[in-house]
Amino acid sequence: MNTAIDTRDLSKRYRRVSALTNCTVTVPEGRVCALIGPNGAGKTTLLRLLAGLASPTGGTASVLGGAPRQDPAFLAGIGFLAQEIPLYRRFTPADHIQIGAHMNPRWDASFVRTRLTELRIPLDQRVGTLSGGQRAQVALALTLAKRPRLLLLDEPVAALDPLARRNFLATLTSAVADAEGGLTVVLSSHLVTDLERVCDHVILLTGSQVQLSGDIDTLLAEHKVLIGPRKDTAPIARAHTVVQTVTTPRQSTLLVRLNGPVIDPDYQAEDVNFEELVLAYMGAGEASAGRRLTTVGDGS
Amino acid sequence: MTWVVWRQYRAQGAIAAVLLAALAAAVLVDGFQIASHWHSILVACAGNKACLQQQPTLVNGVVSDLPYLCLIVPVVLGMLWGAPLVAHELESRTSDFAWAQSVTRTHWLAVKTGWLLLAAAACGGVVAALTTWWSGPVNAMTAGAFAPGQFDTQGIVPIGYAVFAMALGIAAGAVARRSLPAIAVVLGGFIGVRLLISDLLRPHYLAAVTTYYTVGGSFTPPGQAWVFSQGAVSGTGVVVPAGWGDLYPALQPVCQRLIGSTPASGKSGSMSAVFSCMQAHGWRGFATYQPAYRYWPFQGIETGIYLLLAAALIAVTFVIVRRRDA
Repeated sequence: MNTAIDTRDLSKRYRRVSALTNCTVTVPEGRVCALIGPNGAGKTTLLRLLAGLASPTGGTASVLGGAPRQDPAFLAGIGFLAQEIPLYRRFTPADHIQIGAHMNPRWDASFVRTRLTELRIPLDQRVGTLSGGQRAQVALALTLAKRPRLLLLDEPVAALDPLARRNFLATLTSAVADAEGGLTVVLSSHLVTDLERVCDHVILLTGSQVQLSGDIDTLLAEHKVLIGPRKDTAPIARAHTVVQTVTTPRQSTLLVRLNGPVIDPDYQAEDVNFEELVLAYMGAGEASAGRRLTTVGDGS
Repeated sequence: MTWVVWRQYRAQGAIAAVLLAALAAAVLVDGFQIASHWHSILVACAGNKACLQQQPTLVNGVVSDLPYLCLIVPVVLGMLWGAPLVAHELESRTSDFAWAQSVTRTHWLAVKTGWLLLAAAACGGVVAALTTWWSGPVNAMTAGAFAPGQFDTQGIVPIGYAVFAMALGIAAGAVARRSLPAIAVVLGGFIGVRLLISDLLRPHYLAAVTTYYTVGGSFTPPGQAWVFSQGAVSGTGVVVPAGWGDLYPALQPVCQRLIGSTPASGKSGSMSAVFSCMQAHGWRGFATYQPAYRYWPFQGIETGIYLLLAAALIAVTFVIVRRRDA
């Protein structure tokens, strides 16, 4: 399987603040990858580096087989949708469709028209007068009309109500299905439940660093919640990687990444769900970020 | 990309075209009136120069401010079209839309700046052509082709100013990333550069010509020359501007005595004796000036300077837009 995204120690510093530190991730082609992290974790920075809208201060990125660059062929393969849903407010969706037609070699205008008609979004009304949900739908449809091989979406559903969010994600899922493995998506959000529905891959960032990345099913299989009596957890920590420890006076709950079978019969192993996994890593990342805060700054 | 530029600017372009058409109509009507008035003056004075100089000013009414319009059109274009070109896209984040299409930032910038510079040149050119035509009688009457307000508003220099102001706006917008500060930079920068060049540089585009003539004789540089100084210079190199007050103390005592006790009391009869005395001591009359035939070379040089400045500013813009993170 080809890789759509492959980064090695990708870093971006803005003056004294580190926005992304030594990011090494791989996303295979055809995946829908969740990019999760608290605000200021570096999600936007990573997406902009991948789209070629910003250049790294360290490390390398390979996107669709080459470094992100100002080259029509590279740009044609990337669909980028920024958080602010950038559209010309005084132009209509129809204007945008025409602009896109003049700026892209592959351009599926009829796709946008069909999609927007289905959603009952007027094509001849200024974008500035549309609702936030409608604007997001217009922007996503325009981004998909490029027929990109890699779709980079930066918190596109953040401002949407639940129904608009569901519509948006439905558009996305059907586009992925239509592309039959030819479309890779990286979707950033902090709405974990939304992501779980549509994603099969995850990158988790906190404090500008990658805490977790990989295939979601594999990661869920590798992690277990161990519940046992309150006692010294050092033996477990030696054999496995403890992500999170929660202790009450009577029992310990450990979320661990297994490096083999759990031998200690005192512990009962339970499956972990995606949300627990994400929150555990976010908590762990925040804790370590808190310790670094005095030297690095907040990275937002 | 050209279609995209057209779509983005067609409304503004239409407004500009309507304004230019209205201006042209007003200028044509007024211009023909001035021309006929001038013609009647010419007939009445029949070549009498003193009569011509006694005529009241030719121009009045609203259109009389046309030369000033010619001065502000470039800077307005730079502020309204140039400054927001990059800055407004960044401000409203639409750069994230434009630069996420399959067109490189370089290509995007090249097409946009290309058309807008062309539009600036066209607007500057139209206003300059109207002003030049309209000013014909005034030029003939005042005979000061190099005068500020005349040299700067006619011929081809306004095209250079317009292109420069547009480029200044585009570059300032790319550097500042916000329209408002860029607009301020255009206003201040344009006025500053214009004053600097017209005051300090323009007189020296070509070395001034100095013509010497017999003292006491008269000399006027032919045509509408730009006269810097005129006066007398002694054999030992003492320069005195025209006028007896300055000349008297510089004269040799022999010649001073010919004038009499006070410099103003020279009678015409004794004047020729004074001039002969001065000639004998090596005095010559001189005039330093830019000859009239240098009008178009000067227009060309000044336009060239502004076009070069514009090119440098556009080059800076390209470097910024390509290198800096969007």
